[in-house]
Amino acid sequence: MKMVRLFCWLLQGEWRARFVQIIVAVIAIAMGVALGFSIHLINTAALNEFSAANKSLSGQSDVQVYGKQGFFDETVYPKLAQYEGVKLVNPVLEFTATVSAEFENRDDHKLKILGIDVLRAADISPDLLGVPGEGRSMDSFADDAIFLSPAAMEWLGLEQGDMLYFNVGLETIALRVAGGLTRAHAGQRIAVMDIGAAQWRFQYLGLLSRIELKLESNIHHEAFKVKLGNELGEQFYVSEIADQEVRIANMSRAYRVNLNMLALVALFTGSFLVFSTQALSVIRRRRQFTLLRVLGYTRRQLLLQILTEGFVLGTIGALFGLAIGYGCAVLAINLLSGDWGSYIFPGIQPSIFFSLQNAALFFMIGLGVTVLGATLPAREVVSANQASALKSGGEDSTMNRVQRSRSAWVCLFSGVLLTQLPPVYELPVLGYMAIALLLIGGIALMPGLAKLVFSFLQKYVSRYSKNVIILMTVARQANAPNQASIALSGVLASFSLIVAMAIMVLSFRVSVDQWLDHVLPADLYVRVADSGVQGGFQKEEQNAINSLPGFSRTDFFRVQQLTLNPDRPEITLIARPIDAVEPGNTLPLTDDARGLDQLPKGAIPLWVSEAMVDLYGYAVGEKVMIPMGNMWYEFQVAGVWRDYGRQFGAVQMQLSDYQTLTSDFSINSVALWLDTETTMTEALVALQQLPFSNVLEITQSQHMRESSLAIFDRSFAITYVLEVVAVIIGLLGVAASFSAQMLARVKEFSMLRHIGVTQSQIKRMLAAEGCFLTAFGVVLGFVLGLGISLILIFIVNPQSFHWTMQLYMPWNWLLLISGVMLVSASLTAWLSGRNVVSDGVIRAVREDW
Amino acid sequence: MIPLFFNQNGVSWLFLLIILWPSISVSQEAVQGNRFAKVSTGYTLVFPRDYGAHPDFRIEWWYVTGWLETDDKKTLGFQVTFFRSSTGHHPENPSQFAPKQLIIAHAALSDPSVGRLIYGEKSARTGFDLAYAKEGDTNVKLDDWYFVRDADGHYQTKINAEKFGMQLSLIPTQKMILQGEHGFSRKGPNVEQASYYYSEPHLKVAGTIKHQGKTLAVNGHAWLDHEWSSELLDSRADGWDWVSMNLFDGSSLMAFQIRGKDGAKLWAYAKFRNAAGEVRFFDPEQIEFIPERVWQSPHTNAVYPVEMRIRTGEIEWRLIPFFDDQELDSRRTTGAVYWEGAVRIFKEHQPAGQGYLELTGYESALDL
Amino acid sequence: MLELHHLHKSYAAGHQVLSDISYCLKSGEYVAIMGDSGVGKSTLLNLIAGLDVPDSGEVLIDGTVISALNDEEATLLRRKELGFIFQEFHVLSHLTLNQNVALPLLLNDLPVDRAEVLLAEVGLQGRENDFPRQLSGGELQRVAIARALVHRPKLVLADEPTGNLDPDTANEILQLIRREIKKNGASGILVTHSRVAASTADYVLTLTKHGLQPAEIITDP
Repeated sequence: MKMVRLFCWLLQGEWRARFVQIIVAVIAIAMGVALGFSIHLINTAALNEFSAANKSLSGQSDVQVYGKQGFFDETVYPKLAQYEGVKLVNPVLEFTATVSAEFENRDDHKLKILGIDVLRAADISPDLLGVPGEGRSMDSFADDAIFLSPAAMEWLGLEQGDMLYFNVGLETIALRVAGGLTRAHAGQRIAVMDIGAAQWRFQYLGLLSRIELKLESNIHHEAFKVKLGNELGEQFYVSEIADQEVRIANMSRAYRVNLNMLALVALFTGSFLVFSTQALSVIRRRRQFTLLRVLGYTRRQLLLQILTEGFVLGTIGALFGLAIGYGCAVLAINLLSGDWGSYIFPGIQPSIFFSLQNAALFFMIGLGVTVLGATLPAREVVSANQASALKSGGEDSTMNRVQRSRSAWVCLFSGVLLTQLPPVYELPVLGYMAIALLLIGGIALMPGLAKLVFSFLQKYVSRYSKNVIILMTVARQANAPNQASIALSGVLASFSLIVAMAIMVLSFRVSVDQWLDHVLPADLYVRVADSGVQGGFQKEEQNAINSLPGFSRTDFFRVQQLTLNPDRPEITLIARPIDAVEPGNTLPLTDDARGLDQLPKGAIPLWVSEAMVDLYGYAVGEKVMIPMGNMWYEFQVAGVWRDYGRQFGAVQMQLSDYQTLTSDFSINSVALWLDTETTMTEALVALQQLPFSNVLEITQSQHMRESSLAIFDRSFAITYVLEVVAVIIGLLGVAASFSAQMLARVKEFSMLRHIGVTQSQIKRMLAAEGCFLTAFGVVLGFVLGLGISLILIFIVNPQSFHWTMQLYMPWNWLLLISGVMLVSASLTAWLSGRNVVSDGVIRAVREDW
Repeated sequence: MIPLFFNQNGVSWLFLLIILWPSISVSQEAVQGNRFAKVSTGYTLVFPRDYGAHPDFRIEWWYVTGWLETDDKKTLGFQVTFFRSSTGHHPENPSQFAPKQLIIAHAALSDPSVGRLIYGEKSARTGFDLAYAKEGDTNVKLDDWYFVRDADGHYQTKINAEKFGMQLSLIPTQKMILQGEHGFSRKGPNVEQASYYYSEPHLKVAGTIKHQGKTLAVNGHAWLDHEWSSELLDSRADGWDWVSMNLFDGSSLMAFQIRGKDGAKLWAYAKFRNAAGEVRFFDPEQIEFIPERVWQSPHTNAVYPVEMRIRTGEIEWRLIPFFDDQELDSRRTTGAVYWEGAVRIFKEHQPAGQGYLELTGYESALDL
Repeated sequence: MLELHHLHKSYAAGHQVLSDISYCLKSGEYVAIMGDSGVGKSTLLNLIAGLDVPDSGEVLIDGTVISALNDEEATLLRRKELGFIFQEFHVLSHLTLNQNVALPLLLNDLPVDRAEVLLAEVGLQGRENDFPRQLSGGELQRVAIARALVHRPKLVLADEPTGNLDPDTANEILQLIRREIKKNGASGILVTHSRVAASTADYVLTLTKHGLQPAEIITDP
């Protein structure tokens, strides 16, 4: 009991003595945990929502049957309905339709429509049943009625009874909003109508997109899947809800994992701060601890004492962190819900779900980091030579054991090695490990480097300058580099993170910009809403467009989605005219391509995106099979092109080859080049005069570029948040280590005041120290950050998103942020010196513990 | 006599589909009525054609009720109903999924040892040969449920509900009865409210029943109604009481009354045929349904006159329910609540036969 | 050169520390002040150094009323005219010996060559570039003495300079302080509670609550 009381006394004393430092430490822990936790919450919220929304569409079925080419022939439906072991069957036609006329000003005016048979769906997906108005019971079967989810009604600004117009091919059809889907998932924009009416009105006659099955209770699902899969053959795949979830999770996995990794890096950065606060506190109390040891505290007890402190701090900080993280996530979701990763999770509105388990995980990480931060210096202290510890001047050696140059080089070297290894489960885990190792190595290397640099500087300074402030500052950095490096670890970690992010984002943005130039060479793009499996423009309309005056060139595109592997999201097939002599004129080819003359005679060339190489193992020259219509065709890969638009893969082929193979002469996009004499306005007017102009979606490539870049910026908004947080963490690190040092160095300041150093000189000295340190941290951080950005650009991005990019440096931004860091760090150091130079402190020369 | 309508409680989807349901919207009927064929007096029913479906009419059903006995002398009541309903779909819609017709089936089993009605239901649109009601002869199918008339006039039916199953053959032992005037059956004071209607009484039943995990061989007798119409009920109607009787002496009686909103008789009909085939009609004013004992459903709080005296001319029939709780409550799925139960028939205190009584429009106080 | 006129100082609790202290130290004199713990020796030193302000009375150094100066002015005066020797040496661990000694020179914008001279004087020649952690306690105090005198201050204040040293070393250091003060023509005040230490001064004063009085001269037993 006595021991516990002593524990408490010491803890209380510590709390009173270093209130500010403790607050800073708590904030640091809280920041790290909050950042990680909020990103995690947002991610899972978005994914859960997406998954739940998707699940509500497929209802409570056990097994779903899909066609590999998207839609499939409905004749399989009666077969499945009468298949042995099938209890309930629910045919679904799911497609997106283009909302026309007044809604056209929206960026995204596509509405997901599900055609269902209410009688079949009732038992499997009751959430999809529309609620018709009073006395309009038959609307669920009506061919002119559509039911909208609340989110869709709100989005379109419609109410029950209003008319809703759609572009279908070159026609416009009108449907009556017959009621709501009261049980649709919150925020989910969908519409439901009778399956027969949908097939007819939207030109999907004879087609279904999936059939959901509920099995008899005694049926083994796995065996059933295999058997049915074999019987249905190649064109179909049979999956369970679990498979669907994998597929959905796969769609956004890279995005989520990368964000989570960034959150961890942030937590990691925060942990340096915690570590430095703890380490400084231990250093400062070195003699106190030694005294306790002399008085008869055992090593265990002392260690326990220090760990308990860390534990208390970690607990408080991590709890705050969870609360702040939760708050931030809620705020972010509310503010950004419309935009949040909008092209990853379209048409849903996520809501935060608080999972105790995950909260506990983040709590443990925060606590663990803090306790670890306390453990390393604590171990050093308890094993220290007690006699020498009582002497002044030994503080700096405390850190020797923790940070050694050799281990730093090992870290850096193994980090570089890791970058050479392939991804793990298609994720750049090793890339991130390399980043962590570079950070650790960089920080461990810092004392040595600081000594080297500042010693050199000191020689120079003492030769040419008699400014006592500069001299003392430089001498301190040169001769007490360990303390300097503690202050710097936060700055270094956060600044390298900022640099890395900034370089990566800019490189990506410039690459996307250039890519857009390449993929949008025409002046105008005209699209038409799909009509069933047909592209919207038939021969007749194509001729009409071809004969328009004012255009120097017209290219037709046939774009469609297809499934190569049921576990993966669909890929995109683009058939278009491609320059046969120099395909690089048409496609943003990487270096990996070969001329068409090098292909064997009769081979059909196919150009694949980088993602196809990574995900499906396609290689130039290889023969591959691609399904089109109801057939599989053999192609030969002629080249690889860069694609930032479709991370799940895309292939391009000659439109003429496509038409020869499939006899599908419809197309759904047109690229138009203006004559030199024609203005944009004239071109638009010409297009408006087409008889079917009201269903055309005309986009100027300039607008398309702008909106693409806007989407890009929106998706990377999170990285800016991270950068700001990193700056704050870095500054907190400076503040924490300086204010901790202030107490440790109080006697030094007091002596200096005695020998005639003025208050303002001491403050200036501190500011200079902050500035020098930060400048050093910024330079080192820049080097480290550059290294990390190279990993992000050349390892992490290709491995997770399957695209490569070129390196571009955001010099302006880096200079700006360096300036901000320098000024604010100096200011922070200067501010933390305020208390130290007050009158009371001056007597510290006579103070002992 | 099957108006359809939708449950409006916002939860559900399916039709409420009950015999003689009162509240069909007049306006909707007016809108859709002209698309459908009309029931008129001059028509002569032609067989076997009229055994089959009549898709031009809005609604149609084949309705079998009867009594069964298992090998171990246990008595059961049963009901098998197949409805066909036209949706008034757009005739130009070429989709195989176009909802041209809907097929709905209800089946129920009355087992006094269970103490309440066991029932199942199913519905689907026609198409893909998964569900249909064929023309030419009775042939109705809904997935694995069916009701078919063979060339020899025997009916075969199979029901495979969640809680029970039936596979029965029904063999006619008597000639059919054309109800009303040669099959034209009025349902109210207005001559437009009518149906084509014939019955086959005294069908001999044999087959098996899957019940409580066992497959039981059963024998018994049944009554078949086949009725089709486009417009059934007077807007003043509130519900109806209907009874069919297979009497031990080989005679049979079908009677119904349409009740007005005030509870009074709006229309009534009864036709009696003795074993020799002599037929007797009763005018509406000769027919009286007199409640003897009411039973309040513990499930819905509805109060049904489960015990009745029915007066047809000078004859008085006494109806005693097989057991009280034969209420069919499908509010959670179809929204319909009615009483459809096996009854014993007494005449002058002597057992006279077995029949089925149907009581609709009694469910009330739902809002509570 | 140092005049104290009717100094009064009490602390927040109302506890009177110094009352009516008057004294005059002549140029070149080296005086020891003794007194019991808590009698106000350190407070007196702080007042003399301009680090604290008396409630009433004046402190004059070479005719300048230091107790009337603001912090900045007092610091500049202190920087130039005073030298300090502390019980705990207070040598900056991250500066070399030479740098430590040179600090006052740099502060007063004087040539730094003299630091080396002073280090040699205190017996540390050739060790200019050593760091304090390589030194023993006595050596550290030698550095402090060099630092206190390097800029030729008029007055050196030594506060228990041998409190942390063993007797032999203490004696060496006391002799060194005396020698260096005399050699550099400074005045000195040695605050101590050791009679042995006090005996190295020209004469000894006792600080009591009644003021500063000359102590009886005590010879070594």
